[in-house]
Amino acid sequence: MSELVSDIQKILGETGLVLGWAATGAGGVAAPERFHTAEEAEAAIFDSTCVHNLAVHLPRLKARAVGIVAKACDARSIVELIAEHEIDRELVKVIAVTCPEMLDVKTIWRRHGYGAVIEDDGGELRVNGELVDRAAYTQAKCLGCEERPSASISASVRLQLSEDFQIMNVEERRTFWREQFSRCIRCHACREACPMCYCRDVCIMQTSDPHWTGGGINAGEAEMMQMIRVNHLAGRCTACGECERACPVGIPLMLLMEEQNRAIYEMFDYRAGVDPEAKPPLLTFDIKGDGWGEE
Amino acid sequence: MKFISSDAIPELLEALSASSVVWAPRELTGSGGTVMFERWRTGDPIDLEHFSSLSAKDVVLPRTEKLFGYTYAFGGGLGGAFGNGAPAGEQLVIEPAEPAPPAVLFGARACDAKALDVLDALFNNPEGEAYNDPQYQSRRKSLTVITLACTTCDEACFCSSFGNGTSEKAGSDIIVYPVEGGLLAEAVSSRGEALLAEPIFEESEQAPPPLAETARIEGLERLEEKLPRLFDDMDFWQEISERCTSCGFCTYGCPTCYCFNIHDEMRSDREGERQRSWDACMFALYTQETSGHNPRPTLAHRYRNRINHKFSYYPENQGKILCTGCGRCIRGCPAGLDIRDVLRAALEEAPREP
Amino acid sequence: MSTSIPQAGIKASEPLRPEPATVLEVIAETANIKTFRIAFDDPALAESFSFLPGQIGQLSILGAGESTFAISSAPSQKGRFDFSVMKTGVVTSAIHELSAGDRIAVRAPMGCAFPTDDWKGKNVVLVGGGIGMAPLRSLLFYLLDHRDDYGELTLVYGARTPEDLCFASDRRDWEGRADLDFAATIDTACTGWDGCVGLVPSVVEEKAPSPENAVAVTCGPPIMIRYALQSLDKMGFREERVYTTLERRMKCGIGLCGRCNLGPKYVCTDGPVFSLAELRELPDEL
Repeated sequence: MSELVSDIQKILGETGLVLGWAATGAGGVAAPERFHTAEEAEAAIFDSTCVHNLAVHLPRLKARAVGIVAKACDARSIVELIAEHEIDRELVKVIAVTCPEMLDVKTIWRRHGYGAVIEDDGGELRVNGELVDRAAYTQAKCLGCEERPSASISASVRLQLSEDFQIMNVEERRTFWREQFSRCIRCHACREACPMCYCRDVCIMQTSDPHWTGGGINAGEAEMMQMIRVNHLAGRCTACGECERACPVGIPLMLLMEEQNRAIYEMFDYRAGVDPEAKPPLLTFDIKGDGWGEE
Repeated sequence: MKFISSDAIPELLEALSASSVVWAPRELTGSGGTVMFERWRTGDPIDLEHFSSLSAKDVVLPRTEKLFGYTYAFGGGLGGAFGNGAPAGEQLVIEPAEPAPPAVLFGARACDAKALDVLDALFNNPEGEAYNDPQYQSRRKSLTVITLACTTCDEACFCSSFGNGTSEKAGSDIIVYPVEGGLLAEAVSSRGEALLAEPIFEESEQAPPPLAETARIEGLERLEEKLPRLFDDMDFWQEISERCTSCGFCTYGCPTCYCFNIHDEMRSDREGERQRSWDACMFALYTQETSGHNPRPTLAHRYRNRINHKFSYYPENQGKILCTGCGRCIRGCPAGLDIRDVLRAALEEAPREP
Repeated sequence: MSTSIPQAGIKASEPLRPEPATVLEVIAETANIKTFRIAFDDPALAESFSFLPGQIGQLSILGAGESTFAISSAPSQKGRFDFSVMKTGVVTSAIHELSAGDRIAVRAPMGCAFPTDDWKGKNVVLVGGGIGMAPLRSLLFYLLDHRDDYGELTLVYGARTPEDLCFASDRRDWEGRADLDFAATIDTACTGWDGCVGLVPSVVEEKAPSPENAVAVTCGPPIMIRYALQSLDKMGFREERVYTTLERRMKCGIGLCGRCNLGPKYVCTDGPVFSLAELRELPDEL
């Protein structure tokens, strides 16, 4: 029995529910699974296809004790949820796992067909038995991971996009995003996959009152919607990359988030999800003077 | 059978573009391999190899379309909370949307074409029999569907569960088969026949290639009766939907999900348009009432409605299952939820005693 | 209950497009309910427009949106019709801003009507609460217009306070009628009210109309409906003789947009009128 399974079984004794993964997805990849019993927990796995950030379920389960298997970046989401008092530290038991570079399963399947068999021994990556370029199929967030410097970094198409984006001027960025957002279908997968987007049905990306965005599905509305979302995540985004992974039409949303996270770090010396006692900078008011910049 | 060489396909699309909007699958740049049906313009590449991430339903049910425009004309003062209730004496003019131009859908799969046939049951009724949808109808009636037969499939495909599978002809005008150097073309409607009479298509004696055989789930038609008996089993719905994060991809990627929202977009306080846009039963706000009451308050309630609508309500009302087994909801689900697991579970589940 | 087909006011050729209309008069009913008397601008349409009690319509304030309401006026009234609107959200707030002469846009009638033909020769008991009186008002007008076709008519209409009761001038007429047994009731006694006091269901029980050869119709807040149905059941009204009209969030009103269904039935086209027996057959998703 793996260490993970026995850890989950131990936590189950305290919580009765553990969020983890089992190899129940197509082609044998991991899919999120809820374990309630020691027997169920025997199916638990952790490998480079365990891409989902399960912390997204915590705000929905906040009334109950729950165990959760978490990668380093997932753990940052949990810390940030605690810092924001969205979940109760006492109710959440974290089972930390050391992650390999996580795979971009969706892109693998887009290229090789859904359900193509993925074999990853940590060194070589094979799809349907054929050796493939690991860097092309590694999640962008892992290539830029501060916890775990990557060996594959130089070959990444996605990081090239990130570099290209850096040198664009404002007009070029505008054109770039217009094109990207023109395929947004407003399915809100980005929001629903985000552990920090817990406003649920009062999210102002969708409400009619206040009416911040129109109801249409087009580049303009999508841009407005993402501006709202990105701004609302200022100083709160833990860079788990789930918004980009969840996007069914491949919009590189993390370019926006990375840019903002960098600005937040420069301005406030703050990284979200590092310290559960921290006060997130944009959730803190420090009133000085009369607020109008006058002495 | 007719034949068109790969080199001649752009020429064909160009010719069709003269009088129609042409929709074809294309891999979008910088999108991580996303293939979508886009309006084809001269020089655009087409992708006949990969499955598209989204269905082709835009051709009859656009993501957003204008229903009509409105203007409050003459006079100066503003009335109403939003300045829209026109003061006395002022005219309210409502202008219908212009009819959509004819369209050609090129490279749809049998599951996409069949979806049109399934949607026709609701949206395309004989006049006077039921409410109709004029926008859908005008698009549908002027649409030519050129379907790419599937010689390969992937693990998400399960169209064989719905009758003819990859050899389905419903909804298509022409079926094209990929062969060495080009496409074999077979007309399955008179509109298709007329198009294939064009000289760009050559006569061919070639036999079409064998088609892919997709996975099959037996007995899905039994769900029409079975699901209502599972309706009150909330544990069942809770369990099968617990991976779901409540986004709308499964509905927006689906070729048969048709639910929509109606909303007003103002250009100024005196004019604007009423639009119709895709909406999804997986969103909490979809059924949320102004009072705050929501008849489908949880994810499990919403998921239950989605499955019931597709496999019980629509078959009961329209005689057709609202699913064609295209697998897009499976391929694209960010949470790894597979509708086939749900369907199998529902088929096997014995209704619990209340 | 029968599926509606296209009717005047909803163009079969363009069922989602409303027709311009004008507000003729606004009657303030309570602090948050107003009745809007409306006529279509197109004279031919105004002339041909007709509906049956229980049917619904959609009012649009273009720019704000569209909402569904019961038609509250007498079907016999030609050339104009009433909607009674409670101010609750974006669209109803915009409607409440309207005054006489203002323009509005209307799609009506939609949905099925009360099966009044089946009720001929029977006694009819109407049980209404708050804004739920709106469709019952239209029904009552219809029954009074065809008074000889029906047996005894009973109406119990209640609200929390006297100020929450709608249709003051109609109530004066109804009180004066010998051919209608009418009681208005308020939840708790207050000065200046010498009428009936008590919750609607208990007043119905006190009045005790016979279930023999009778039908009952109830419409009001969900909690009132629940207790009214219990009372009617206790009094011996059979499920197939008890009717209500349902409200759901609606957009298209013609059975296409997908949100108002109760199982396979759509409240907009199969409803809004359902008998209790019909509702029992449908999934409980209210």
